[in-house]
Amino acid sequence: MSVPLSQMWTVATYVLRQRLRGRTRYPLVLMLEPLFRCNLACAGCGKIQYPAHVLKRQLTVEQCLAAAEECGAPIVSIPGGEPLLYPEIGRLVKELVARKTYVYLCTNAILLEDKLAQGVLEPSKYLSLSVHMDGLGDEHDEAVCREGVFDTAVHAIHEALRRGFRVTTNTTLFDGVDPERVRTFCDAMMDLGVEGMMMSPGYSYSKAPDQEHFLRRQRAHALFRRILEHPNRRWKFNQSPLFLQFLMGKQDFECTPWGNPTYNLFGWQRPCYLLQEGYASTFQELMETTPWERYGRASGNDKCRDCMVHCGYEPTAVHHTFNSWRGFRSAATATLTGKL
Amino acid sequence: MGDDSLQGWAPEPRDADELAHVVDMAFDYRGDVTIVLRDGTERVGYLFNRSRERGQAQLLEPAAAGPVTVRYADIRTIRFTGKDPASGKSYAAWLERKKADKAQTER
Ligand code: SF4
Ligand code: SF4
Repeated sequence: MSVPLSQMWTVATYVLRQRLRGRTRYPLVLMLEPLFRCNLACAGCGKIQYPAHVLKRQLTVEQCLAAAEECGAPIVSIPGGEPLLYPEIGRLVKELVARKTYVYLCTNAILLEDKLAQGVLEPSKYLSLSVHMDGLGDEHDEAVCREGVFDTAVHAIHEALRRGFRVTTNTTLFDGVDPERVRTFCDAMMDLGVEGMMMSPGYSYSKAPDQEHFLRRQRAHALFRRILEHPNRRWKFNQSPLFLQFLMGKQDFECTPWGNPTYNLFGWQRPCYLLQEGYASTFQELMETTPWERYGRASGNDKCRDCMVHCGYEPTAVHHTFNSWRGFRSAATATLTGKL
Repeated sequence: MGDDSLQGWAPEPRDADELAHVVDMAFDYRGDVTIVLRDGTERVGYLFNRSRERGQAQLLEPAAAGPVTVRYADIRTIRFTGKDPASGKSYAAWLERKKADKAQTER
């Protein structure tokens, strides 16, 4: 595993503090969406289809910082839209880093090289550039519906690493993907020199135009077992080993929808990053008035039945790691041996 | 426009239940809608939030800085007037287009 020790320590102490305070529901990663605009239009993306006047809007840096403070999570992930289209991305990241918040800037990397050349971002142990990579070469281009994006992203990754940035990749695996190709992809990402990879199965958004290309739960376990059962020793993952074991069907977790709360133009999104069932105007209102029992696998909610995505289950994995001896032992063993 | 898109739909809800259902559908719709109020005025915008319990919907109008709140009790109906940006954007459609482009260049 590749999460730096300082980050692991921050998360571990945060989780333990919550436990000591008797807080059972707490956020781990704020999903902060300053805008919905994107310079790509990937099929299956439920994030960008809005009227033009909505796409033109964006949060102010002050609104973003207030949300981060209100939420109090030790990690802020900035997905989108494409965050590098946000004119104030440099100031936003700088302010979050100054608050010692770990930031994952999730980008398709089309603009990354330019932004780096302009000095918009500065390397920091608190900042990780998380580059969207859904496969090798044409496979990635096909997933993002534009040719040449893979090569652009690879150049940008080289440049970011040369400049001393932490770089990770985030990959969504869609139905029908060839596990051997994914293994080759993992080798290639490690060859690029990234700090670690993040993987998650796709989800059929209720509002996405494309439903048929997402993984169903059982098939997903089989797929992830084939990919991860004998991991190459060089592979590093920037996510909890217990989450990867969950993907393989070796851990039986329930979703923690409040673990990665989402804030965007519309407010605090209920109940999670994927489902848009309404918005609360404050974080407290989100936590106190969302009917959490209606979500997750055990709820029987159709929308949750096949879901295994990281934003719902990674917080469960992290909670399990630091709240049970068995969880801690499994995570430590996986980290030390590289075996999942 | 996709077959399943609500674009162009102009329902006539007969009671509060049907109206609440139409509001839910407008909330799920990815384009702008026109809210027709009982006093005859119309408000056009993106309906991004609603609460049956509170009997309120929130709308982002194109030129407004912030959202406006509309009470269910004041709404006569909602028309699905804006273009549906989610329609026809599927991965399958993109692959089809790609295949067609390829066939054209090979001809
Ligand atoms: S890059 Fe991300 S936000 Fe943009 S269209 Fe693709 S999946 Fe959606
Ligand atoms: S299982 Fe959790 S993360 Fe997945 S859709 Fe349901 S609430 Fe969201």
